[in-house]
Amino acid sequence: MASRLWASRAASYLRISTTFNRSFSTVLKDLKYADSHEWVKVEGSSATVGITDHAQDHLGDVVYVELPEVGAAVTQGGSFGAVESVKATSDINSPVSGKVVEVNEVLSDSPGLVNGSPYENGWIIKVELSNADELKSLMDADKYSKFCEEEDAKH
Amino acid sequence: MIVVTIPKFTSIQIYPPRNHTKDRHPRRTYLVLSSEFSHSEPTSIAHEAKRRCDCFDIYKETVPYAEAWSWQKSIVKERKALIEQDEDCSDTLIILQHHPVYTLGTASTEKNLNFDISDAPYGVYRTERGGEVTYHGPGQLIMYPIVNLRYHKMDLHWYLRALEEVVIRVLSNTFSIKAFRLEGLTGVWVGDQKLAAIGIRVSRWITYHGLALNVTTDLTPFQEIVPCGIRDRRVGSIKGVLRDHVSCDEYGKAKMHLSDEQLVDITHKSLVKEFCKVFQVEICHRPIPMQMFSQGKLPTLATNENIS
Repeated sequence: MASRLWASRAASYLRISTTFNRSFSTVLKDLKYADSHEWVKVEGSSATVGITDHAQDHLGDVVYVELPEVGAAVTQGGSFGAVESVKATSDINSPVSGKVVEVNEVLSDSPGLVNGSPYENGWIIKVELSNADELKSLMDADKYSKFCEEEDAKH
Repeated sequence: MIVVTIPKFTSIQIYPPRNHTKDRHPRRTYLVLSSEFSHSEPTSIAHEAKRRCDCFDIYKETVPYAEAWSWQKSIVKERKALIEQDEDCSDTLIILQHHPVYTLGTASTEKNLNFDISDAPYGVYRTERGGEVTYHGPGQLIMYPIVNLRYHKMDLHWYLRALEEVVIRVLSNTFSIKAFRLEGLTGVWVGDQKLAAIGIRVSRWITYHGLALNVTTDLTPFQEIVPCGIRDRRVGSIKGVLRDHVSCDEYGKAKMHLSDEQLVDITHKSLVKEFCKVFQVEICHRPIPMQMFSQGKLPTLATNENIS
């Protein structure tokens, strides 16, 4: 509670308007979501990972995506890459554990695909899952939508 | 406290000199001499306890980049561990200067270097922060805030604007220099000169890297790069802005008798003050952990206590 008061006091004292966007971001039904705003699409024992529409909207124009090496190991909750926008580079965390089998090389030349098509052409890595049970700890579309609303409402 | 000596007359507007060819706003006032040292008092929030911010303040020291970089990363690692245990109670602020060095961000291109990277005039570090190439060196005050945005605002844009706000207030409240933001060009500008550069990294909402403010910096090394990838503007310093405008003064008596050291002292004090106000934190000065630095690198430090 106190942290919300600090944040709102600071924001109002600064009288800074943010680029905060209250419009509804797209959330796809057949995906799973992490609380760090990555999505995962599971097909058998392999998974495709990217960042959500909500995340790309809050980041702004992505100018660079740092991709892992094919063959690298990823762990659920661990950072595997980064996205840069507006002088700020942020970690991307993996919603699942496994081995990277493919990376979206197109993003090196067209990082903006993460903004324009976060769930399709803007996918970031494909992972061979090592533990399908981990998916149970992720959110479904409805839970994730609610999570985003609550997170945005705090600030 | 060192007080800037400013003549007593009412505010006058000083327009930039006519040979300021790159100035896009010829009538913009960006230095106003006021009759007294201006202070702005914060809105009182006496009833709220402010978040603590541990401050490692070695603003007079020039530190090798690699040492400070590794120090930041170790603090971030510790903070993430504390967050896991729900024990993250304070933010951190490091203030220092660097030995001459160039640093690149994650997306930086070597095309913005006017030299071959294998034959660089100073060390070059490719870092994990956002932003393009920049130069750090003596006379430039660096702030590395390591803040948990969950306790402030989980919004990177807000954080960048807040860092800019700190510097804008320093320039305005302490030097009466009117600085501003330019949309799309993160940093703090006076005329067509960038006085402060910003580049950050965020990991699990913990920020690191930060801002660099030119106070008395020798700006020559910036000529070896395209600073921040921006070709049609310049880099400036507080000393440069003050010198340009004092020399323009038709009244002739507005001379700033400040040494470089005094200028850095005044700026540092103001940076800490404005940082506390913008981020609504309470500074808690901490001794520098000696194991973070090689022996002999910081001869002026009087303590070798460890952080608790």
